[in-house]
Amino acid sequence: MSFVSIEQAGYGVPSGATILDRIDWTIEEGEFHALVGRSGCGKTTLLKLVAGLLAPSTGTVRIQGEPVRGPGAQVGFVFQAPTLLDWRTVLDNLLLPVSLTRRPQPADRRKAEELLDLVGLSGLEGRYPSQLSGGQQSRVALARALVTEPPLLLLDEPFAALDAITREELQNDLLKLCARHRTTVLFVTHDIAEAVYLADRVAVMEGGRLRHALPVPLARPRGRDVRYSPRFNALCLELRRVMDGADSGVALERAS
Amino acid sequence: MVRAASALLLVLFLAGWEVYCRVAGVSALVVPLPSAVLRTLWDGLAGGYLLPHLWVTTAEMAMGLAVGCTVGFLAGVLLAEVPVLRRLFYPYILASQVVPKLALGPLFIVWFGFGMTSTVVITALICFFPLLENTMTGLQQVDPNKRELFRMLRATRLQTLLRLKIPSGLPVILAGLRVAVVLALVGAVVGEFIGGRQGLGASIIAAQGMMDSTMMFALFIVITVLGMIVYQAAAGLERWLLRRPWKG
Ligand SMILES: Nc1ncnc2c1ncn2[C@@H]1O[C@H](COP(=O)(O)OP(=O)(O)OP(=O)(O)O)[C@@H](O)[C@H]1O
Ligand SMILES: [Mg+2]
Repeated sequence: MSFVSIEQAGYGVPSGATILDRIDWTIEEGEFHALVGRSGCGKTTLLKLVAGLLAPSTGTVRIQGEPVRGPGAQVGFVFQAPTLLDWRTVLDNLLLPVSLTRRPQPADRRKAEELLDLVGLSGLEGRYPSQLSGGQQSRVALARALVTEPPLLLLDEPFAALDAITREELQNDLLKLCARHRTTVLFVTHDIAEAVYLADRVAVMEGGRLRHALPVPLARPRGRDVRYSPRFNALCLELRRVMDGADSGVALERAS
Repeated sequence: MVRAASALLLVLFLAGWEVYCRVAGVSALVVPLPSAVLRTLWDGLAGGYLLPHLWVTTAEMAMGLAVGCTVGFLAGVLLAEVPVLRRLFYPYILASQVVPKLALGPLFIVWFGFGMTSTVVITALICFFPLLENTMTGLQQVDPNKRELFRMLRATRLQTLLRLKIPSGLPVILAGLRVAVVLALVGAVVGEFIGGRQGLGASIIAAQGMMDSTMMFALFIVITVLGMIVYQAAAGLERWLLRRPWKG
């Protein structure tokens, strides 16, 4: 049984426009999948279907075999915008998922501080979001999704606002954490190299449809040298070609 | 510097007034001398004549404000949270906006008699609307992304209200409170015009009966200062509740 299975899922808005058209995709437990595609092709919408924030108008989404009927406790979501509570400190924002279910314990606080350290923000726990840079805010949002250690992580361009070096560090940290907890991940990105570096499999979307699936047979753990290896570059090039092909409307292999 | 200049402006204005009244021999019945007004004010405060009235008006205002704001806030929360109620009541709320609440004063006197009760009721009614309006607006203006975050975190409705909607609507709600504070003073004073036995408004009517313009001006000053104090208190409360340590 796949951890996530998307079966013929479609999504339309009341005005009649089809945003997602019969999407089929499966993610096995512990796998890291990336979703790439141009702006406006429906990546965020697909992620929200999986999260249970939107209900598919056709087809179903299953998590561990169960049809998704709403946001579940086993799913962590990082939104495209940081979405922090401005009237709460960084630490309180991090602990929000915990404090909505129970009173945070000292262990939770330690956990939150570890995560802050991981995303390179230690010492800033007392600040308010307005006192952070955009990239720092998105790192807090990432840490917030990790604090409950959800078995399924859905990330919507979490590193888009970061510089190349911080981004590489966070990519490595995310990979480490996900490997440690055997987290299943669906990761939306615009960045081809990021998709190839992180993922076991990359899904290419275009105009509301999944056009292509590209497996990434790079060994793990992936380190710095991987990024400059010929294999890596060849895969990036291949993905780029697939995306160009998708853009020109040539339907490639449909994963079904 | 600018502060000193605006204080100077006041002094010049009062001096000009005093000189003009003395030179032109304006009757104290029409426009009293500033010096006479200040003397009356001082006597009223030091002699203790004004203090009970000041106390009564302040008490009416505080009670009206507390009742009106509490009920307005709770009603605003209810209407914001329950769309059916909102649709049901909204036309009436809109209609009641244009009803001049002060015009209901005589009716309240019939219902509650002369004295504090009817003034408190008028004041509360006047304070009710800004709080209702602003609470409704504030709670409905929540960033959709944050709402989605709370949905994702499976927050209950009460948690979403207490930990998202009210804090993020607080600036709008407090702006309503600031409006209510000013209106509360108007409500209390005018309520006393209509049905008060005591209080600053009732004193104005009494002074008018005795053609004592000097006393009326002294009372204006007391009311203005009272208004400034409560407005500053409300603004201070607002700053305190919305404090964000920008200074770091
Ligand atoms: N509520 C809505 N009503 C109508 N159309 C919508 C609505 N929400 C999204 N869309 C449209 O659906 C399409 C997909 O949106 P989505 O947010 O999923 O794109 P995306 O792939 O995440 O883009 P980006 O990379 O820019 O974030 C877009 O063309 C958008 O205009
Ligand atoms: Mg998006």
